[in-house]
This record gives sequence, structure tokens and C-alpha cells, in this order.
Amino acid sequence: MVEIAVLLKQVPDTNAKIVVVGGRVDESAVTSWVTSPYDEYALEAALQHTEAAGGSITAITLGPARADKVLKDAAALGVTKLVRIWDDSWQDLDSKQVQSALANAVQAAGAELVYCGKQSADRNQGSTGPGVAELLGAGCVVEVSEFDAAGTTYLRPAASGSEKVTVAAPAVVTFTKTASDLRRPNVRGIMMAKRAQIDVVAGDVGSSTVNFNGHSSPAEKPPGKTYEGSGSVPEVVGLLRDEAKVL
Amino acid sequence: MVYEALDFYDVDSRLTEEEIMVRDMVRDWVEEEVLPKIEDACHKGVFLDEWRIALGEMGVLGAPLEGYGCPGLSYTAYGVICRELERGDSGLRSFASVQGSLAMYPIWDFGSEEQKNKYLPKMATGELIGCFGLTEPDYGSNPGDMITKAEDKGDHFLLNGAKMWITNGTISDLAVVWAKLDGVIRGFIVETGDEGYSAPEMKGKHSLKASVTSELVFQDCKIPKDRILPGVKGLRGPFSCLNNARYGISWGALGAAQACFDSAKEYALSRIQFDHPIAAYQLVQNKLAWMLREITKGQLLASELGRKKDTGDWIPEHISLAKMNNVDIALEIARMARDMHGANGILDEYCIMRHMANLESVKTYEGTHDIHNLILGRHITGIQSFTRSL
Repeated sequence: MVEIAVLLKQVPDTNAKIVVVGGRVDESAVTSWVTSPYDEYALEAALQHTEAAGGSITAITLGPARADKVLKDAAALGVTKLVRIWDDSWQDLDSKQVQSALANAVQAAGAELVYCGKQSADRNQGSTGPGVAELLGAGCVVEVSEFDAAGTTYLRPAASGSEKVTVAAPAVVTFTKTASDLRRPNVRGIMMAKRAQIDVVAGDVGSSTVNFNGHSSPAEKPPGKTYEGSGSVPEVVGLLRDEAKVL
Repeated sequence: MVYEALDFYDVDSRLTEEEIMVRDMVRDWVEEEVLPKIEDACHKGVFLDEWRIALGEMGVLGAPLEGYGCPGLSYTAYGVICRELERGDSGLRSFASVQGSLAMYPIWDFGSEEQKNKYLPKMATGELIGCFGLTEPDYGSNPGDMITKAEDKGDHFLLNGAKMWITNGTISDLAVVWAKLDGVIRGFIVETGDEGYSAPEMKGKHSLKASVTSELVFQDCKIPKDRILPGVKGLRGPFSCLNNARYGISWGALGAAQACFDSAKEYALSRIQFDHPIAAYQLVQNKLAWMLREITKGQLLASELGRKKDTGDWIPEHISLAKMNNVDIALEIARMARDMHGANGILDEYCIMRHMANLESVKTYEGTHDIHNLILGRHITGIQSFTRSL
């Protein structure tokens, strides 16, 4: 029997248009929010792990009420314990504050294993898993691409290929894309999700040590180069082969 | 990648959280498992068995039915499912419509407890496939004159006759067949393997190619006495089923229309003629605006009808209006989208010609466009105009 906490982050869909207004991302302009893709692989691993070894999963997210969606989606796949961490006074939490809040929730859930994505699709910092491990005094295995569903053996990249490791609980494991197909919900799961209760908790995350100055959009891509006429074919082929390396 | 459907008036904001989750589940499945395979399935003229399995695993078959292992969703959710499926292909939605509304529903509403317990749980999971036999070679819009008949032979019924244009027929494990017993229309459950029953597939279709269409032939077909549906007599039986199927079609057609709109918009923005994208020209914008207008009106119609079905505040004429209108505009949108794609519009690289061909069938089946007009005409005037026997 194993108790696993899965950390799920809600991020803008990768297709969503991000608008910066007054030096800050305008979240109200984001039309579609999804579970961060690597977190979905972490959840799938946790589901397989508990199916094989027994136990239960607590899905934990940090965010405003809209983040309930990622928990309900997890509930539709069979997760029964759902926790959302939030305080309306929070704004611009830094990584350490986020890790602190998550670590507290993991402890409250009594989880011995923590699964999460290797990085989120919006900020890509990759700091949450190792940071939570540090705060919990737990071992940490990152960028896992394969796992033994019945135990605690994980495959991750190494300098010369890959390495297989075993880790004792408590531990935090971060996942990259694995070979597992992500399961779909079904109507029965969705009906259960409708009834699932979400525990909303706040907590003391301390003060931030990072000063937020503002967001800015990425620089515009330079315009593409246009080639015309059959005479340019050799040059284009050469560029595709030598620079773009697509031929 | 999350597919974002055209929803100009944000009509889907009326959906419940549960209905949105069902929508997203089906939408993602269609995006990942149907769209990459549908053209090949059409070329081969097959309905992929993996789709049957997936629909059963998702638990969407017989969506609005409760109990006996059925999903128990709202009628609005059922509509949304049909819309998302038909964005993939009308054949896919037809499979689900026939299974849920035409085969499961009559057993659920008119069947005995034994029949419900025997068939419905396995039909909800897709383990058993059903079909619906009403239309005959010579009796389409006037099923009341059907010639398929059942005779009571004491310890069994004997069926004789033929049905035509039966979706799922050849791949079905059971058929809900409507036949006259002593001159009264009754429903019977015929199982594959029953003596004297066969379901040859109809070939040569230019429409609904990824769907199985069959004849049902009953030649001294012998079925046990407990296979009659005890709960209904007369045309009310099959028409009750058709109401639900037509309701689903009113949503489904919008899925096909949205797919055609998406393709036309993308093509118009990328196709350069006279140095500009054709989307920059007024005639093209006029067409896109018309599509947007009609899809939005259709969405509002379907949404409102869904709520009426959920509250029970509906009449069959409401469904006739929505089925007729939404299929009609979907077909016109498909034709217009084909025109906007120019010659490219006939290629299977784009979905529109497939949707257009499918919608020609959808316009005709489940009550033709004209018959729905006559149903509304009767409602308005109080005078039926189906026959001259006034």
C-alpha cells in the first residue's frame, strides 16, 4: 500500500494567446486552461502505481478557484482525495513559497511519495519537485521516463544513456513524457468527479525573497526570408540541409 | 492541443461542469482517435471496431438513459456528445444514435424487466450492438403501411418481410424490428443467429461510407415469445425512438458544420490569390459571416431544445424544427465551404466533401427535410398534408 501525492499545475493551453497588460499577464484573456502535460504523466504513473501496489492518491494543486478543474479531471480518473491550496491575498508567490505550500499539503496528506511533472508548461523552471523534496527532507529522482508500476524503480537520463534507480520513501519523483498512454476519463468517472469534494486550504508561506518587476512578451520573431524563382532552389536546398538540418 | 470550437455566443457556457467534462472527453477522443483515421475508414468503407470499443469504454452509449448500466446523463449532454462525434464523421454519430436512441431506448422504455436486464448493460458498454428496423424498401416516410408482419404461432412468433437502410445492421447482435401483428405495429427483438434472419450489407454508397448500412431480411424468422416489446403498440413506439434520434441529429449536424467552417476559415486565410489571402475579399467574408450566423443560430436552437428535453417541456414539432434547420444549414455550409476551397475542396485532404456527402443522407434519414416541413405545417394549420385522404 502506498500513499502518493500528485502535484498538478493548471497552465494556459499551449495554443492560448498570452496577453501582457500593464506589465502583467492578463489571465482573464486566457481562454483555455489545462493540466500541465508532464503532470499528466505523473498522475498516470501514480494511478498505475496504486493499481499495482494498492494505496491511494491525493491530488494537490495551488491556484484560484479555476484550478479546481485539474482536480476534477483527476477525480474523473479515479482520484478521491483532492486538495487546492489558495489564499486570495496571495499574489506573485515565488518558487520557494509555492514549494513550501505544496510541502505542507503533502505532509498533511500523509503521502510518502510525491509525483509531479519535471517542469510546468508555462514557467518551465523545473524547481517544484526538487524544492518540495528539499523541504520534506526527501530523496528526489528527476526526469523519469520509465517506471516499475509495482515498485519504486525509475529510469532517468544519465550522462551516457540512462540509469535505473530505486529510491526509498519519502521521495519526490518528477516525470518527463513516459511511454504510457494517458488514460481517458469515462462517464462513470465524470459522475464521480461531480460529487467529489475539494478541500481548500491556505497556509503561511512566509514572505517572498524575490521581487516581481513585471512580465514582458517574447521578442517578435524576425520575418522569414523569401526565395523566388527556380534559380534559388540550390540555395534553399543547401539551407534546409546545412542550417535547418531537415534534409 | 485543445480544439476550440466556434462558439460565438458562448452557448457552451450554459453547460454544467459535468456536461463540459463529457464534451471535452469526447472532443479529445475524436481529435486523437477518429480524425487521423476517418478518411482511410471511408476509403475502405468500414466502421472501425476500435471506435465501438472506445465509445463503450467512455460510457456514452445510451447517454440519457438511467439504470441498467446506462450513463444517466442529461439530454443536453447527449446532444453535446452527438455534436462532438459528428465533427468527426456523421457515420460515427449515426452508430451512437442508432445504438442509444433506436435500439437501447425502445428496450429501456417498452421492454420487460428481463429484456432490460439482458440487453441494456451490455449495449451500454458496446459489447452488444443493436440496430433498428422500421424503413422498408417501399415504405420510407409512411412506415404505417409497412408490410413486414409477425404471426403468433403459439410458442413462437414468425416474422416475414424486409427492412432497408438499416445502420449497424450487419454488425449488430440484435435488431429492434417493427412489424404488424394482427394489423397492429409491435416491436420485436431479433437476435443474430435467429433462424430465418439475415442482414446483408448494402454496398456502393457515396455517403456515410464509414458506417455500416444493411438490409434486414426475415424469411420465416422464428423468435421466442418473450422477444416482443410488451410496453407499446402502434407507431408511437418507433416514433418515440425517432424523436430521440432526431434530437441528437439536431446537435450532430452542428459538429459537421463547425468542421466545415473551421476548414473554410483556415483555407481562406492561407490561400493567396491576386496577392492577398482570399479571406481578404468581401465575397469570401460574406460567406464566412453567413456560416457564423447560421451555426450560431443552430447552436442556440439546439441548446434551448436540450433544456426543453431535460425539463420535459417539449413537443415532437420542436425536434422537427431543429433537425430540419440544423441539417439544412450544415449541408449548405458544407457546400459553401467546398466552393471556397476551389478545386482543393474535392480532395480528402480536407473534411468538407466527406461531410457534404454524409449530410445528404442525414438530410433524408430520420424524417426527410420535407416530411419535417409537413409536420410543422400540420402543427401550424391543424391540417395534415401527408396524404390526400383528408
